Amino acid sequence: MPKSWPTPTDMSMLLELQMRLRRAVLGGDTAEIAAAILGDGLDPSARVGIYRNHAFATLGDALRSTFPVVCRLVDKRFFAYAAHEYLREHPPHSRCLVEYGADFADFLARFTPCRQLPYLADIARFEWALNIAATVREESPLQAETLAAIPPGQAAYVALRLQPSLSYFASTWPIDAIWQANKEDEVPPVDITSGGTSLEIRRAGEAVSWRRLDPGTFEFRTALADGLVLAAAMAAATLKDPAFELTASLRQVFAEGLAVGFCISPKQETSR
Amino acid sequence: MTESNPIPSRSVGIGLRLPHVSEIAATRPELSFLEVHAENYMAETPALDRLLALRRDYPVSLHGVALSLGSAEELDRRHLSRFKALIERVEPMLVSEHLAWSAIGGAYLNDLLPLPYTETSLDLFCRHVEEAQEGLGRQLLIENPSSYLRYRHSPIPEVEFIAAVARRTGCGILCDVNNIYVSAWNFGFDPVAYLETLPIEVVGEIHLAGHHAVEDVDVLIDDHGSRVVQPVWELHAAALRRFGPVPTLIEWDANLPALGVLLDEAHHAEELAHAYRYVDAP
Repeated sequence: MPKSWPTPTDMSMLLELQMRLRRAVLGGDTAEIAAAILGDGLDPSARVGIYRNHAFATLGDALRSTFPVVCRLVDKRFFAYAAHEYLREHPPHSRCLVEYGADFADFLARFTPCRQLPYLADIARFEWALNIAATVREESPLQAETLAAIPPGQAAYVALRLQPSLSYFASTWPIDAIWQANKEDEVPPVDITSGGTSLEIRRAGEAVSWRRLDPGTFEFRTALADGLVLAAAMAAATLKDPAFELTASLRQVFAEGLAVGFCISPKQETSR
Repeated sequence: MTESNPIPSRSVGIGLRLPHVSEIAATRPELSFLEVHAENYMAETPALDRLLALRRDYPVSLHGVALSLGSAEELDRRHLSRFKALIERVEPMLVSEHLAWSAIGGAYLNDLLPLPYTETSLDLFCRHVEEAQEGLGRQLLIENPSSYLRYRHSPIPEVEFIAAVARRTGCGILCDVNNIYVSAWNFGFDPVAYLETLPIEVVGEIHLAGHHAVEDVDVLIDDHGSRVVQPVWELHAAALRRFGPVPTLIEWDANLPALGVLLDEAHHAEELAHAYRYVDAP
């Protein structure tokens, strides 16, 4: 017996109808929507299934195009399964699908069927950082001379704003080497025990680039990216690398065009 | 326009897909316009730069797929403002959206889901079209969807619904001839009667595309993944007789072929438009 269905004659009913169809498309259970649909010679759930298939196929394609190496590492069928489970729990909010998948890495980290690939979530984090860099334009860099006007007493409290395309990302696995190897058709051997990496990923013109940073530089730039003032960023970097040099490191930040703005935050704690 | 080209004015464009961009930029095929999905160009990607470069040589039509004008909730203001920002950069010849909904309660489903056609949904849809046109500062063309399900309670015929939207909001209609064919097949109505109920003066664009049949069940799926089939060309000829040679788009989004195949389809559409231009010449 079909469930009774109130006719969508007012807005709350229309909203309820749409919420029920959403649940059917994402979850696959059409019991609460079937009675509202005409069969027209077909089971209503098969009709919902047409939309469901399209939604999962296209959203799965979007994830595959953002996370190509994750897909290669687990193979297409497993990826489709993982994407399906992710989609059910985390449908997109943004209507631009290049922005879909921000928490896919966290999902993979919790997804027990992936447990035998402990670096998979970090590969996804790296691919997400590549995606950010590919979809965010670089801003014109701040010139180092701009800071010259700051009174010496306030220099320690300068917080730089960095290029919006930048990501800093550390892993206990050689993520860049694993990623690079799996871009090729014939995957060359990768020594996954060769140690961790600390990476900087950014837009460079039309391309996306990344490189490994030494521990002090990585800590310094990560702290700057987190909005810490220079004194605090230096303190963090020195903890990682006692030989860290602020002046040279800061000069390098400007030389590479990483800073795009600054503010002075005298109230910020200068160590963390 | 070369002297050897007998077609007096062109009206046919193609959907621009990423794998074809370089070849189009290099060979500059004769096309009346290029159309893109607006959502693919709202992030600051290199693809946007390439679109803006092509824009110097071709008029561009922006086809939105995600405004979700049929949602029983407020329009997504952030999305609307990103759409407007893109319009300001691209200066499109046409801006279109769909008679459908695709997001509810914070989830975007990337699918053109059907509305029940009632007085309530008509009021809602018209209000959203008005808000969108005001927010974008442009007239919208609203496209008739391809449908795979009908609601038990949906008393207004789709073609009357979309005509009423145009009448009440001042929007235009994007007549997707393949969608009419697909829905007519799926629900057993007469596609020519549908076409002949659409108000002539508001149809501002035509879409043509391929579809495929699902084996075992008698359902056609609009997948934009193959050539336009002969019955759809015939329906298109009826559309040209009724609406004249309005801008016509060849859409091809899945199983993308070589650019030459799209241009061949576009050429065929151009020949049809040419024929009807002469037939209808006073």
